[in-house]
Amino acid sequence: MRWDLPVEERIYPGTLGCQACGGALSMRLALKALGDDTVVVIPACCWSIVDGPWPVHALKVPVLHTAFETAAVVAAGVKAAKLQQGKDTTVVAWAGDGGTMDIGLQALSGAAERNEDILYACYDNEAYMNTGIQRSSSTPLGTWTTTTPNERPETRPKKNIMEIMAAHRIPYAATCCPAYPDDMIAKFRKAKEMTGTRFLHILSVCPPGWKMDSEQAIEVMRKAVHSRVFPLYEVEGGLDYTINMWPQYETKPEDYFSMQGRFKPLLNDPELLAEVKRQIDKNWNTLVERHVRTHPRFPEASPADR
Amino acid sequence: MGERHLLTGNHAAAYGAKLARAEVVSAYPITPQTMIVELLSEMVATGELEARFITVESEHSAMAACVGASAAGARAYTATSGQGLALMHEMLHWATGARLPIVLSNVSRAMGPGWSIWAEQTDFLSQRDTGWMMLFAESVQEAQDFVIWMYRVAEQVLLPGMVSMDAFILSHTSEPLIVHDQSAVDAYLPPWEPLYTLDPAEPRAYGGLVNRDHYFELRYKAYEAMDRARGLMDEAGREFGEALGSAYGPVEEFMLDDAEYVFVSAGAMTSNVRYAVTQLRERGIKAGLLRLIAFRPFPFEPIREHLAGRTKVAVLDRNMSPGHSGIFASEIRAALAGLPGAPPIFGYVLGIGGRDIRVETVFEVADDLVTRDDPERALYVGVKGLPIGPTRPGTVITPLEPLEGVAP
Amino acid sequence: MSEFKHVDEYPEIPVSTAVSSTILKTGAWRNMRPIKVESRSPCTESCPAAVPIPRYLHELATGDPAAAHATFTLRNPFPRITGRVCPHPCEDACNRTDAPLAIRALERFMGDEARGLPDPTAETETGRRVAVVGSGPAGLAAAYYLRRSGHAVTVFESRPEPGGMLRYGIPEYRLPSTLVDEEIERLTGLGVEFRTRIRLGTDVTIEGLEQDFDAIFAAIGAGMGTALGIEGESLTEPGLEFLERLAEGAAELHGERCAVIGGGNTAMDVARALRRLGATVTVLYRRTEAEMPAIAEEHAAATADGVRFEFLAQPRSVAKVPAGLSVSVETMRLGDPDDSGRPRPEPTGEMRSLTFDVVFTAVGERAEVDLLPPDLRGDDGWPAVGPHGETPNERIFVGGDLATGPATVVDAIAWGRRAVDAINARIGGGYEIPLWMLEERAEVIGPTGVNRATFAPLPRVETPEMSPEDRLAAGFTEETATIVAAAALAEIERCFSCGYCNSCGTCFVFCPDAAITWDDGPIFDFDYCKGCGVCTSECPGHVLLFVKEKAYG
Repeated sequence: MRWDLPVEERIYPGTLGCQACGGALSMRLALKALGDDTVVVIPACCWSIVDGPWPVHALKVPVLHTAFETAAVVAAGVKAAKLQQGKDTTVVAWAGDGGTMDIGLQALSGAAERNEDILYACYDNEAYMNTGIQRSSSTPLGTWTTTTPNERPETRPKKNIMEIMAAHRIPYAATCCPAYPDDMIAKFRKAKEMTGTRFLHILSVCPPGWKMDSEQAIEVMRKAVHSRVFPLYEVEGGLDYTINMWPQYETKPEDYFSMQGRFKPLLNDPELLAEVKRQIDKNWNTLVERHVRTHPRFPEASPADR
Repeated sequence: MGERHLLTGNHAAAYGAKLARAEVVSAYPITPQTMIVELLSEMVATGELEARFITVESEHSAMAACVGASAAGARAYTATSGQGLALMHEMLHWATGARLPIVLSNVSRAMGPGWSIWAEQTDFLSQRDTGWMMLFAESVQEAQDFVIWMYRVAEQVLLPGMVSMDAFILSHTSEPLIVHDQSAVDAYLPPWEPLYTLDPAEPRAYGGLVNRDHYFELRYKAYEAMDRARGLMDEAGREFGEALGSAYGPVEEFMLDDAEYVFVSAGAMTSNVRYAVTQLRERGIKAGLLRLIAFRPFPFEPIREHLAGRTKVAVLDRNMSPGHSGIFASEIRAALAGLPGAPPIFGYVLGIGGRDIRVETVFEVADDLVTRDDPERALYVGVKGLPIGPTRPGTVITPLEPLEGVAP
Repeated sequence: MSEFKHVDEYPEIPVSTAVSSTILKTGAWRNMRPIKVESRSPCTESCPAAVPIPRYLHELATGDPAAAHATFTLRNPFPRITGRVCPHPCEDACNRTDAPLAIRALERFMGDEARGLPDPTAETETGRRVAVVGSGPAGLAAAYYLRRSGHAVTVFESRPEPGGMLRYGIPEYRLPSTLVDEEIERLTGLGVEFRTRIRLGTDVTIEGLEQDFDAIFAAIGAGMGTALGIEGESLTEPGLEFLERLAEGAAELHGERCAVIGGGNTAMDVARALRRLGATVTVLYRRTEAEMPAIAEEHAAATADGVRFEFLAQPRSVAKVPAGLSVSVETMRLGDPDDSGRPRPEPTGEMRSLTFDVVFTAVGERAEVDLLPPDLRGDDGWPAVGPHGETPNERIFVGGDLATGPATVVDAIAWGRRAVDAINARIGGGYEIPLWMLEERAEVIGPTGVNRATFAPLPRVETPEMSPEDRLAAGFTEETATIVAAAALAEIERCFSCGYCNSCGTCFVFCPDAAITWDDGPIFDFDYCKGCGVCTSECPGHVLLFVKEKAYG
């Protein structure tokens, strides 16, 4: 095998994820990195369904399902109990973008501020997909959803949860994406070895919600990374930034947008598209500045990349 | 035998959690509960209590953390009040569905607006259908003991339980308290042996999706457990007396033997009612008192047994279910329905928003009770300008007057 | 799940009780499915010997050089030779468009790794005797496959040692004669009989051989230089003869200033050999750099060796002058394409004179077709040869440069093998061909057919070589080295494995449903495969196709 990736699975087949579910793939890859001594806390999200109906369970680690807004703090409670019992089990909160950036933000912020010893993974498909594609605060500017119809697409940019998490000065926050399994697994392994609140922001494709063919699921995420729409980077201690993937291909944001029906209103509005691209550039440049500030002597960015 | 201290109800509750050896405490401060969490924080910080204290950012998270800890097999405790309990509501249901024996002390307070930190039981009673066991403490001693008693039952039936203690009247009032010997409490309340602890060696999904084929059965187990708790609560209350000195039960009867007029009350106001009953006896009125201690599971049998054949019953509700009646009144009416010799139930709503319920207030109610013929759904006691009675028909909405000193 | 008939069968708390989600057969959702279909890879397709390159590279990568060697030698017995001298059309065809896979370097590595491993032999001897005339690459390859087919093989060679052009045409620094010796010994070990210093036409004849052998394979090469047809040509020396003397250790330098006329591989070999003897060398070529038929590497190496190039230079005459040999050169310009597709050099009339001590010609080679019986020759005088070397005489087969005119070593090897297939068809016998090799394969995968997304644009591994200074100082010592194992493995990782499943694991890695289990390769579990198609679009080599489920219903 060309991939340095454990063959052992901690997920069974027969999950209820849709075809090419990014959340299912992300869980599968994450558990390869996290190992057996893991407990996963899942709030209301697609994974409440994906895990299967009672009496079924799709994972080879315990899962505690919980209410929508509680992933971080329930995980903290589990961890407190485990520590009290003298166990150092890895406790993972596994939530969607709504459960993280909207309804669950308060509990997440509280847990992060207290530096609870949990690994929080947000699999972000950029809308409320489980309920049928309603916008969330993670929905990008110009996007169609059932609550931001083509006549009035999403009017605000995606919430920058990474900056929010970095502002808590937690030990580790990183973006990753299952289109880059090596990077993703390395980050989960790194996070597992740390203590305190660790946050992993996973871009997670949703073919039905993104209005695209399932077989393009990996490619679309790759394009998100290479067009700098979703850069792969990590933030340590809230201040030290490292870009992990310098886009190598000439991929334009339009290449990413045009693969998905949800960006139709954006692609039909040249002014809006120009604005979105300005924001992508600005965000990327800010990231590069921070990377260079963190690595003043060894900036991995070539001048062309900047 | 324990040590005798002079302590507030709040501190007593903290001692209850400590003696119960809570392993994870998670709480958010709210007046008038704060002293509970302050004392527990101190106990955890000094090592007097070997537990993890999670200083969460909200009551919702306080209960969520307890859910997580309890699901992982730890004895979990929290305390809150009023708005906080309301915020927890969703997770109260969750704790029941997940069958987690969490115990909560609620310092019962009025709901805003207007902001009120004073005693009222509507916050507590609003959690009636969450599936939690519910107890009303009257004294500082009970504020402590009921926590222990509740854990004992909760862990037998795998249901959570909450203890109400009235704001200030109990929470901030100092009384003599026997802090039991830890070894005696340990003997009474052994370590919890959970069915499941999120052990990676036994990877199960806990509380996931359940379709229509199975939900009812899984919930039925909880309903059944609550009914099973009724007997276990009696038993554990008796054993509490044998092990720790004072026995408890779902109700307390006082001067009921020949009583014609029975007052029903719950919580700290009962002390005044009890005294008023003795005074009424001296006036020649055959009064008696039935104190409700357990509200869930509801003590149908003792209530029917003690109220059947009485002349009149006055239920004193420091709570209100608008559009219906005081909550105890409606519950008791339902409990007596169809009972031969069932007395008329007069539902008095009083003490709302922490207004004092004095001995004199009970006398006023007694006077009304003796003279009133028809029991109304709700009789309001002490509304300014109004006699004791039901709401007025054809009430008009009072228009706003111009603000004084503001130019038109 | 309908087995729950009574509330007491339920757990007290709402935890899962089933072992896993595998009771949910989500494969029922599928209306498309992945299927594994092997296609032809552009490297194999462009290889004259049709070596299954992705397959043997995969076997090599899994740490099994013996398997790789076995696969390779189904098509080409001599990876150590072609791994050094092949012009590698495979690399030109490679879909790795950032920098083609270093296939030749890997081939050399594999050949060297597998050195000394036994070759497969025939289970039974056929009792048939086959003569091979000529021991160049075509003859050696034919001898090899004839032995694998169970025939008795005698190879006739006119020179003192077998090897043909491998020994006498390619200089030592490119292909050491000890290596050729080892390959000859390998064949001897298989039971091939070599008879040297036997010259066709003089010592034996085709007609004579027909008496003693069941079949004859003639591959005597194209060992005769082509004449320039210019005044003073007798003053020049054929490059091939120089190379042959060099191989025999009898080459002497008759003067320091040398010219080599021609732009092919022989010209490069002569020029570079002369540099090693201490000469200054000028190559005169009538077209430009772009049209040179020499392998690009050899041209580059010659330049690095200090060989000067005069392009668009057409020698018109050679004359003896007191200072040496004066070559009169006409400057050419490029015109319209000729039959070869290259621009035709056209005279400009501009003349100049260049003076050298020795002038070599290397403007093409031709075969001694006169040595064949007339009935084997066509109207143009060349042998009349079918695609497998068949001739009008059903017992005589022809291959290599003798059939095609001067070509490459790998072309000759391919002829040798093809001729053996034809011979076997006539006289019986054969060597085992695995089933996979016989399967029909879909179209050649082009650069747009592969998915390169999971491949980093890593630089290719280059064959280590001595610096020009060192190699000139080292004389005729082999100037290149075999890449090390780590480099080979890294290089194989760059292979997309077009059309061939090399168990890269990409389908497994990206399956969102854990519906692919891994046992050194993907196993699809159609009970659970939802038919999302991710594996098919991510497959780097386009081996997995996404097809309608109905066809399999």
